[in-house]
Amino acid sequence: MTIRKKTRNTSLAKRSWQKFIQNRMAILGLIGLVLIIAACLAAPLLTNYDPTLIDPSIRGLSPSREHLLGTDRLGRDIFARILYGGRWSIMIGVIAAMGANLLGAALGCIAGYYGGKVDSVLVSIQEMLSIFPGTLINMLCIGFMGKSVRNLLLIFTFTGWPGVMRIVRGRILSLKQEPYVESCRANGIGGMSIMFHHLLPNTLGPIIVNSTMNVAGYILSEAALSYLGLGVPDNVPTWGNIINAAKRLDIVQTLPMLWLAPAAAICLFVLSINFFGDGLRDALDPSSK
Amino acid sequence: MFKYILRKLLALIPKLLVMSVILFFALELLPGDALSRTMPPDQYQALSEAQKVAAREALGLNAPPVIRYFRWLNQIFHGDFGYSASTGQNIGTMLAGRLPYTIELSFYGLLLATAVGLLLGFLSAVMKNTIVDYFCTTISVFGISLPEFFFGIVFIILFSVQLKWLPSGGRMPVGAHGFFSRVPYLVLPVMTMAISLTAALVRYTKNSMMDVMGKDYIKTARSKGLRETTVSFKHAFRNSLIPTMTLIVMRLPRLVGGSAVIEMVFNYPGIGNMALTAVNAGDIPVVMITTMTTGVMVLLSSTLVDIVTAMLDPRIRLG
Repeated sequence: MTIRKKTRNTSLAKRSWQKFIQNRMAILGLIGLVLIIAACLAAPLLTNYDPTLIDPSIRGLSPSREHLLGTDRLGRDIFARILYGGRWSIMIGVIAAMGANLLGAALGCIAGYYGGKVDSVLVSIQEMLSIFPGTLINMLCIGFMGKSVRNLLLIFTFTGWPGVMRIVRGRILSLKQEPYVESCRANGIGGMSIMFHHLLPNTLGPIIVNSTMNVAGYILSEAALSYLGLGVPDNVPTWGNIINAAKRLDIVQTLPMLWLAPAAAICLFVLSINFFGDGLRDALDPSSK
Repeated sequence: MFKYILRKLLALIPKLLVMSVILFFALELLPGDALSRTMPPDQYQALSEAQKVAAREALGLNAPPVIRYFRWLNQIFHGDFGYSASTGQNIGTMLAGRLPYTIELSFYGLLLATAVGLLLGFLSAVMKNTIVDYFCTTISVFGISLPEFFFGIVFIILFSVQLKWLPSGGRMPVGAHGFFSRVPYLVLPVMTMAISLTAALVRYTKNSMMDVMGKDYIKTARSKGLRETTVSFKHAFRNSLIPTMTLIVMRLPRLVGGSAVIEMVFNYPGIGNMALTAVNAGDIPVVMITTMTTGVMVLLSSTLVDIVTAMLDPRIRLG
C-alpha cells in the first residue's frame, strides 16, 4: 500500500513538474523570483551602504557611480534601501500569506467536514469579513494596535483567511463524498485525522497556488499601507516605505528614483510571482488538464 | 423575479443587524468615556464631574447594554453617530458630506473599468493569439502588478505637471459648483481607480469567453450558419458575463477601500481620506463608523449586482 502510494505520488509530482517546466512564462517567473530574492539576501555583497544611515552631506543626489540610484532626502543610498527593503517586503508577504493560508485552510477543513452549524457560523463570519474593504479594516486595526511589523503580520493573517477558506471548504465538500473517506470512517479513523491527513493533502494544490498569489497581494497591500504612512514603522525599509518618502509633488519630480525604483522592484517581483503562480496552477490543478 | 428580489432584500436585514451589533459593542469596548462621544468635545470639557454623572443618568448610559443598543440603533436611523473626538464634528454630518464624493469616484471607476475591461477581454478572446490579444494581456498583467498609487503618481506627473491638462488634486475649484466643474478633477482619480479592476476583468472575461466558446451550443449556433459576430456577441458574450459579474461583486470592497489610497494621492475629500486623518489623530470611533458605512454600501451594491445577474441568468433566480 505504502509503495503504491509512493510511486503514484512521484509520478504525479513528475508529471506536474514536467508540465511546469514546459511553461515558458512560469520558468521566467521562477528565475525572476530567484534573482530578486538572491539579490536581497546578498545585499551586503552588492552594496557597501547602510540602508538606514542618515548622512546629511549627501542629501538628494542623482544617480551616479557611487550611488547607483542616488540618495533620498536624508542622504540614504536608495539602491541599498531597495535591496534591504526587499528583504522586509518579501518576508512580510511570505509570512502573511503563510499565516492567512494556514488559518484559512484549517477553518475551511473544519467547515467543510463538519458542515451544519459549525459550517454556517464560519461561512457567515467569512462573508462578513469579506464585505469590508481591506484597506479600511487594515487602517482601523493599525489605529488600534499601533504600527509594527508584528502587528501588520497579525492583521494580514486575521483579515486574509476568507479567500482560501472558501476554496478549501468547497473542495472538502466534494471530497468528503468520496468512498475512501467512508472507508476511513468505517475503519474507525477520527475526524481530525480524516480532515488533516486524508482530506487536506488533496486540497494542497489550490492552497499552494493561492498562497503564492497572496504573497504578491500582501506585498502590494503593505506598499499601499506604508504609502499611507500606516504600514511598518519608518525605520524599517520596505519597498512601500521607500515610496512613502516621495509623497510631496516637488519630491516626486526632483527625485524620480525615490519612487520609480521601488515601484519597479515591486512590479518585477509581483510579475514574477504571478507568472510563477499561473504556471503552478496549470501544473497542479487537475481541472485545467 | 419579484420573489427573488424580495428574498435578496430580506436576507439583508440579519446581516445589517449583525453588523450594527458588532459596531455597537466595538464602540463600547473602546477606552474612554461613552459620554464624550455623545456631545462635541468642547461641551464635554466644560462639564463638571457632577454634571457628567447627571448627564450619563439623563442619557441612559447606565442602562443595560441591550437597552442602550436599541436606543443607539434608533439614533443611527436618524443619522446620529455621535461626535468625533478630534474634530468635534458630528460624525453623521462628516459622513454625509464625504460619502457622496467617494460614491461618485467609485461609481465612475466601476463604470469605466467594466466598460473597458469587458471590451478588451472580449476582443482578446475573439482575436486570440493576435497582436490585439497580446496587447490586452500585457496591459492587464501590468495593471495587477503595480500598486494603484503608482499609476496615480505617474498620471499626475504626466497629465498635470508636464502637459498641464488636468488638476493634480482636489475636488473642484474654490467657489465653483455643478457637475461640469468637477469633471476635470475626477478624470485622473477615476482612471487610477479603474486600472486594477480593468486588468482583472480583461483576464477574467477572456477566460470565461474561451470557456463558453468551447461549449456545444456554440458549435450548434455555428453549424446553423449564424454569422461569427452573432455567435460571439449574442451566444458567447452574454453567457460569459455571469462569472464576470461575480468578480465585480467580489471586487466591490476593494474598489471602495482602495479609494483610500487614491483619495490620498489626489487629495480628494472622500471618506477614505477622512478615515486616514482620523487614524492619524487616534480617533478610532470615526474610523469604525466609516468602515461600517462602507461595509453597508458594499452589501447594498452587491445585492444590486446579484439582482442584475439574476436578470441576465434565469438559472439563478429559479435555482
